[in-house]
Amino acid sequence: MQEFDVLVIGGGASGLRAAVAAKRAGASVGLVSKVHPLRTNSAIAQGGLNAPLARDDSPDSLAADMFIAGDELCDRGVVKAFTQEAAKDVLWLERMGVPFNRDKDGRLDLRAFGSNRRNRTCYADDRTGHIVLQVLHEQFQREQIPSFAEWFVTSLVVEGRTCAGAIALDLRSGKLESFSARSTILASGGFTRSYLPSTASLGTTGDGQSLAYEAGARLMDMEVIQFHPTVFPKKQGLLITEAALNAGALIVDQNGNSITDLTGMPRHKICLAIQHAMQNGGGSVSLDLRPIGKEKMRGYFPQTQELLRTVAGLDATKDLVPIRPLAHRPIGGIETNGAGETSVAGLFAAGECACNGLNGAGRLAGNALTEAVVFGRRTGEAAAKHAAAGSKAAFPTAKLADEEKQLARIFSPETSADSLGKIHSELGHLMNEKVGVIRSAAGLQEALAQIQTLKERYSKLRVKNPSRIYNYELTSYLELGSMLTLAEVVALAAQARTESRGAHHRSDFPERDDTNWKSHTLLSRAEGQPRMQKKAVAAG
Amino acid sequence: MKYAFYPGCVSRGGCPELYPSAVKVAEKLGIELEELKDAGCTGAGVLPQYVSDPINARTFAKAERLGLPVMTICSTCQGVMAQANYRLKDDPKYREKINREYLADEGLEYKGTTEVKHLLWVLFEDYGIERLQALIRRPLKGLKVSPFYGCFLRRPPEAITPTKELNRRKAYLDELIGLLGADMADISGKGKCCGFPILSANEENSLAMVAKHTGESKEKGADFMVTPCPLCHLNLDGNQPRAESQTGKEIDLPILHLPQFLGLALGFNPDEMNLKRHIVSTTEVESKVNMMS
Amino acid sequence: MQVTFKVYRKDPEKDGKPTRSNYTLELAEDATVHDALLKIRDEIDSTLAFRASCARGYCGECMVRVNGSARLACTAKVPDYLKKGPEISLDPLRNVPVIKDLVFDWDAFMWNKIKQVRPWLEADGSAVNGEQPVSDAAMQDLRKVMSCFYCGMCDEGCTVLPVDFDFLGPAALTKAYRLAFDPRNKDSREQVKIVEKPKGIWDCVHCYEADEHCPRGIEPTKRIVALRDQAFKSGITHEAVARHHASLAASVKESGWVDEGRLAIESEGVTNIKGLMKLLPTAAKALARGKAPIPFMHSKRPEADRIKKIFEKAEQEEK
Repeated sequence: MQEFDVLVIGGGASGLRAAVAAKRAGASVGLVSKVHPLRTNSAIAQGGLNAPLARDDSPDSLAADMFIAGDELCDRGVVKAFTQEAAKDVLWLERMGVPFNRDKDGRLDLRAFGSNRRNRTCYADDRTGHIVLQVLHEQFQREQIPSFAEWFVTSLVVEGRTCAGAIALDLRSGKLESFSARSTILASGGFTRSYLPSTASLGTTGDGQSLAYEAGARLMDMEVIQFHPTVFPKKQGLLITEAALNAGALIVDQNGNSITDLTGMPRHKICLAIQHAMQNGGGSVSLDLRPIGKEKMRGYFPQTQELLRTVAGLDATKDLVPIRPLAHRPIGGIETNGAGETSVAGLFAAGECACNGLNGAGRLAGNALTEAVVFGRRTGEAAAKHAAAGSKAAFPTAKLADEEKQLARIFSPETSADSLGKIHSELGHLMNEKVGVIRSAAGLQEALAQIQTLKERYSKLRVKNPSRIYNYELTSYLELGSMLTLAEVVALAAQARTESRGAHHRSDFPERDDTNWKSHTLLSRAEGQPRMQKKAVAAG
Repeated sequence: MKYAFYPGCVSRGGCPELYPSAVKVAEKLGIELEELKDAGCTGAGVLPQYVSDPINARTFAKAERLGLPVMTICSTCQGVMAQANYRLKDDPKYREKINREYLADEGLEYKGTTEVKHLLWVLFEDYGIERLQALIRRPLKGLKVSPFYGCFLRRPPEAITPTKELNRRKAYLDELIGLLGADMADISGKGKCCGFPILSANEENSLAMVAKHTGESKEKGADFMVTPCPLCHLNLDGNQPRAESQTGKEIDLPILHLPQFLGLALGFNPDEMNLKRHIVSTTEVESKVNMMS
Repeated sequence: MQVTFKVYRKDPEKDGKPTRSNYTLELAEDATVHDALLKIRDEIDSTLAFRASCARGYCGECMVRVNGSARLACTAKVPDYLKKGPEISLDPLRNVPVIKDLVFDWDAFMWNKIKQVRPWLEADGSAVNGEQPVSDAAMQDLRKVMSCFYCGMCDEGCTVLPVDFDFLGPAALTKAYRLAFDPRNKDSREQVKIVEKPKGIWDCVHCYEADEHCPRGIEPTKRIVALRDQAFKSGITHEAVARHHASLAASVKESGWVDEGRLAIESEGVTNIKGLMKLLPTAAKALARGKAPIPFMHSKRPEADRIKKIFEKAEQEEK
């Protein structure tokens, strides 16, 4: 059995930041990640991190832009803490070695990005996530924190409403191991791999949200999913940073006409505009990167240029890039407060898998990475504090044997005409079609019915590969289980919210309804069934 | 056809058989050489760039004043000089700085027009293959030969440019083996490092590389290996006995310098090409060659 | 299109001997090797082990050899590999221990080596508040280096790794460059010293294979050469290398060119009797054959004093 004060689950930006913060606060820390930290989904973030550093900027200005993007669903206390600490945390990254782009005076170059009304986005070319992740991993290594990379968490261990740690499978040896911890932090990322195609990495399957949900924690605002407007939609889906729009790129319809003036528009509105253009014109929408010019393209968007060439076979300086909005990052997640505490004692959550009301119904472009470092740090500190203060819940050692039995039931040599891939593929398309940018009561009803069918099909499937060493059929099986669980939750929450707000758009309820819906949705499990509650938006 | 000749230290130091062979071969081919007697060491990839770039700029300036391209007979000299030349040609500001700070004293200035070419490139690009073929007096029929380039003759790309010639230049030695009538005993490591640069830092690895390349060549049935780089020769020939004792495996593969190989085909006898001066015995090669003439 | 994949297999739970499985499947015209692997695992053989993460060229996780060449499975388009027939071979990278099928040991291959170079910045404690201005030129160079996505192609192409798996390799040494050349690092000298240890920068043969293999144009060899120049500047701490460099530098300074007899002896160290003894058989044989230079025969180049002047001035400038 492994024992730590703080166990971090997830090796992306928030997980690494939380681990470093907890260690520096004096806790013993271990980090479990199903892929190596440098292969996590944080690496695909491109645009940058917001920080109100400019002379004409302030925490309040940042907050004001967030309230617009969040469409009045933000919890103000969390926003206040975030906007006041963002600059400090971004400068910390600079100290630790992120080679941000500089202006001619050598100061951080702050660029215009998305619907920010000030220049406040710090960036490292178009690979900000990849580079920030590397620097966080450097500091993680500096702290000599034990890293369990390629370990897959199979369950959280909760005894009497208190989390005592987790059980994880070592992919390399195939062995299950108990991780006893005073505080457990979920930083396991999003779940948009339940949409196909989407912008997500293969492992972005909502394992953490699903584990928390099963362990009794509440999921908040799960219906709110940010779609990214400028994604090349073939194959896995290739995101092109919105910074391209700020640099002069245009979104054009099939006749080559710019569809509308998109400057300063929040993401969800751009997505709607594209969706409407596609529906009305019945045709395709493209991104025209040519106005950026060759030199600027090479200088500021080298990765975009490379990936368009290698993945899409397109020349950014010559070709139009077909695009459509695709599921990008969830805004909903495990309900937490500003310190990352969930409704289960000893269980914390940060980053993409968490929801603390910061983003309301829409995240401001450039906030995701800042959020990861601000709340990663806050959660790490809070978890360390909790570990130092509380008495330790005994880890029920019998759990490991139970888990072995549980796992053994999944295996069977029987073959089937059905497969994990088929179910996943059907789920992915269903989510895009019926729980996508534009939703309706009828569509959601149909989605829920089909999700039920898929769940039944899934329950009949077994893992045929008998080995436990690098058994990716097994991990895919577990991941698909999580995605199906969350798909139902998302559809239920979307069905409940009978209004349009931020990234959640209902064709049958096209207006915002402040009278009934200035509140969050909360979903939890009661007697095996999902239960919906509302929670008023916190004012202060 | 005339070149500013840069023989390099090793052709008269560690491999004293090379310099006279190269001079004889050049004479036979009718290539006129004006030796750059007062040029300094290239730095051999050992001295830092900030020292070697000015020294090389001085060499280029001297050749430029003569109005001649530079010819080398060493892959290492070639590579180091070509890289320096690339930097000096590519960046006029850098060139001016070096002219000002280092060359002006001597009344020299490098304008960035000197070409640096290895003998191997000269043969293919300036001299011409037909002309060379016409001079072959002893086609090396029945001999099996492995090429070994010396990494600096193949990389980095900017040292091999112009780009369109890059792939051809990477195969000249292969081509030459056929042109001279010999058979090829191809080896996977022909473009790799011989191990010489790390002889002082990690002798074990260096010798392991010698054993790897020469051993593979031997397995492929080669009579000898040919190299345009005397530093490769130092290691592959000079240290072959030590590589043998490290691996406990006999190899016994003669290594010939490019000019020696050329010279044999042009009709020189093995003694004229100083084959006896090698560490690994060349007796068998000699007798095979002598049987031909 | 119908394609047959001949895939390397190794099962650590059986005898661990490599075998090959053939899978024939129908694929869309725009299929990637990654698409094919997923399809094989889902529909034909769920025991096939391979890694992948981002699936679109960002992350470097899915490296595999396609018809012998190292590629990212997720960007390798199947039709590009069918020019010689409808069969494609898939193998793990070279120079790496294989764990299972196409899953090789990234830890041993790269991650553990990176750990050895002290891969983090020690922040300068000064001015903790506010921004610290640095030039974008310095940052641009670091961004280029940090565009590295740890695909391992430089290590896969390395000349030294096949003879010595413990060599740190270009990927880890490039990481060291990123730290040593970050102007914000408190102690860059310390960073260089770490990679001067055995198996580090002085074990590199600077053959530029890595630069040829790097798909992002980071030029790892040039980064290693820059680290070596840095060490030269501040005093080489690797004993044997320091002796070799000092001897070569002294020879060039004094005579304009390299005295190899002297170099051979001084590189071994005048007090290093064992090292000298080791040279003796070769040296004696070489002398007998007239191959070796005789140290005292080495003469000055004409204008050697000019070269000395340049040398000393350059050293002065760089201090």
